[in-house]
Amino acid sequence: MARVAAAGWMTAEPVASETVISAAGLAVARDGRRILSDVTLGVRGGERLALVGQNGAGKTSLLRVLAGLDRPSEGHIEWCGQRLPTGSERTRMLGVLFQAEAPVGFTVRELITLGLGLDGPPSSRQSNLVDAAMGRMELRELADRRCNALSGGEWQRVALARALVAEPRIVVLDEPTNHLDPAHRAELLAVLDSIRGTVAVVIATHDLECAASCDRIAMLSAGTLAAIGSPGEILRPDVLQRTLGVQVRCVPDPHGGPPLLRLLGRQPGYKEHPPA
Amino acid sequence: MSWLKSAHILFALCLLMGLLALAAGSSGWRWTAVAELVRGDDIVAGLRAPRVVLAALVGASLALAGVVMQTLLRNDLADPYILGLSGGASAGAVSSLALWPGFPPGPAAAIGAAGAAATVRALTRGSYHPTRLLLAGVTVGSLLASATGLVLVLAPRATMLRSATFWLFGGLGTPQWNVLAVPAIALASAIGWTLVRAERLDRLTLGDDVAASLGVDIRPLRRTALLIGVVLTAAAVAVGGLIGFIGLLGPHIARRLVGATHRRLVPVAVLVGALVVMAADTAARTAFAPREIPVGLVTALFGGPFFLVLLNRRNW
Repeated sequence: MARVAAAGWMTAEPVASETVISAAGLAVARDGRRILSDVTLGVRGGERLALVGQNGAGKTSLLRVLAGLDRPSEGHIEWCGQRLPTGSERTRMLGVLFQAEAPVGFTVRELITLGLGLDGPPSSRQSNLVDAAMGRMELRELADRRCNALSGGEWQRVALARALVAEPRIVVLDEPTNHLDPAHRAELLAVLDSIRGTVAVVIATHDLECAASCDRIAMLSAGTLAAIGSPGEILRPDVLQRTLGVQVRCVPDPHGGPPLLRLLGRQPGYKEHPPA
Repeated sequence: MSWLKSAHILFALCLLMGLLALAAGSSGWRWTAVAELVRGDDIVAGLRAPRVVLAALVGASLALAGVVMQTLLRNDLADPYILGLSGGASAGAVSSLALWPGFPPGPAAAIGAAGAAATVRALTRGSYHPTRLLLAGVTVGSLLASATGLVLVLAPRATMLRSATFWLFGGLGTPQWNVLAVPAIALASAIGWTLVRAERLDRLTLGDDVAASLGVDIRPLRRTALLIGVVLTAAAVAVGGLIGFIGLLGPHIARRLVGATHRRLVPVAVLVGALVVMAADTAARTAFAPREIPVGLVTALFGGPFFLVLLNRRNW
């Protein structure tokens, strides 16, 4: 899977440092309780950003706002300088990989075609996009299989293919490495590497290794943005102690990659949700 | 087999069944039915033909309403009656029979069905949860069913019991051509709408979040789908009474034949529904001729076991 290339995107103009998501002062409240407050962040084109935080830190709430599924109760958010459109324009702007989507009775090809957001049968150019997406994810042989007859790893690939089929400028992934065995996890990271620089990727994850592969990491703690920076700046014992409540040892990677982490244990006396 | 081939075969079967249904009847077989239809024969053209067309319309409407309800509620066990519509329709029909015995119970049944659905929707205001809607539907439906029972028990005339029973198990009766106009218009507009919105309905079956992420504006789509499902069902019960299992069976058979995409599912489910009710109605008219049994009894008698076979052959 590492050899795959994002065929269609290659022809797109380079997206260098343009901001594709800009969010200012985001707050989310549910049933009168504040889950998220005052989050300001920008995502640049082609950038890979990880959202990391304890359970209940507001990761999912922030991700849902960034994916356009929930409106923030306060603050402002724009995608490529505008609100999210509907129909196929939306799928060209933003793709989403959901954490626990149940597979249904569509065939693999039918389901991936739905990722184009069309209101009619696909044109031949659009069918080519579907073929390209299936090729990229090595799903060609499964094209006519029903999704509810696939293995977990295959289904994850189909769902990712659907998120990417319209060649969006942004993809948002919710815990993509959850429930994946090491081989499928490596495969997923390879797919993400193949679109690095062309598609902005936002990943909510507990997987620190996955986070280390991102360009930036946003650390959420008790509903606020506690820290944001490069993996080298964030994956440090003091920051992880403060934001995740864990003790870690960080070792520089002899091969020049992001720092290697070893989990030592919980930080004694760490309060999960300090009073705001 | 390609889906178009399935659709063509089903269409041919529908035509054949229609001819067979024209030929069969309590006054004996008439193999020259087509000629008599053209000639305007009293029995074939005046009595049987509108009845056969009505059976096809009702079957198609119920199967399509089943597709819409299953998509809307994201539940394969949903049927057109699930949101309390059967309870509302029977309460309406029985009340009408008790209060105005000379008047056909159809309009009151349609009003009852639509009223029950509106009540269910009003009770589940706020955020949309299919489960809430289902539970409210079951509750309202059983309340209205008990009201129906009360009217039947306290009914002033014993003769009413007979016509009510016939209606409750689906009696197509001997319709005039003009009665068919409303269900025909409802069915045609519903088919048109579901085909235009086929891909959006596909995405709706994936759940609200996924559908929204795939560019669907969910609320207006769901509102119209619910309206279409209720209108189709109300129109069908108004002219055909309560005919069970078609709304469940039609979509399931269609899904097995051509898969889950609405662009294929809708036409095939419509054909399956029409075919099954025409066949069931022919059996209902001829099995105990000259007496006629309610068509709903036939669909339940044969549909039930058939559905169980389907259940066991499918991986859930």
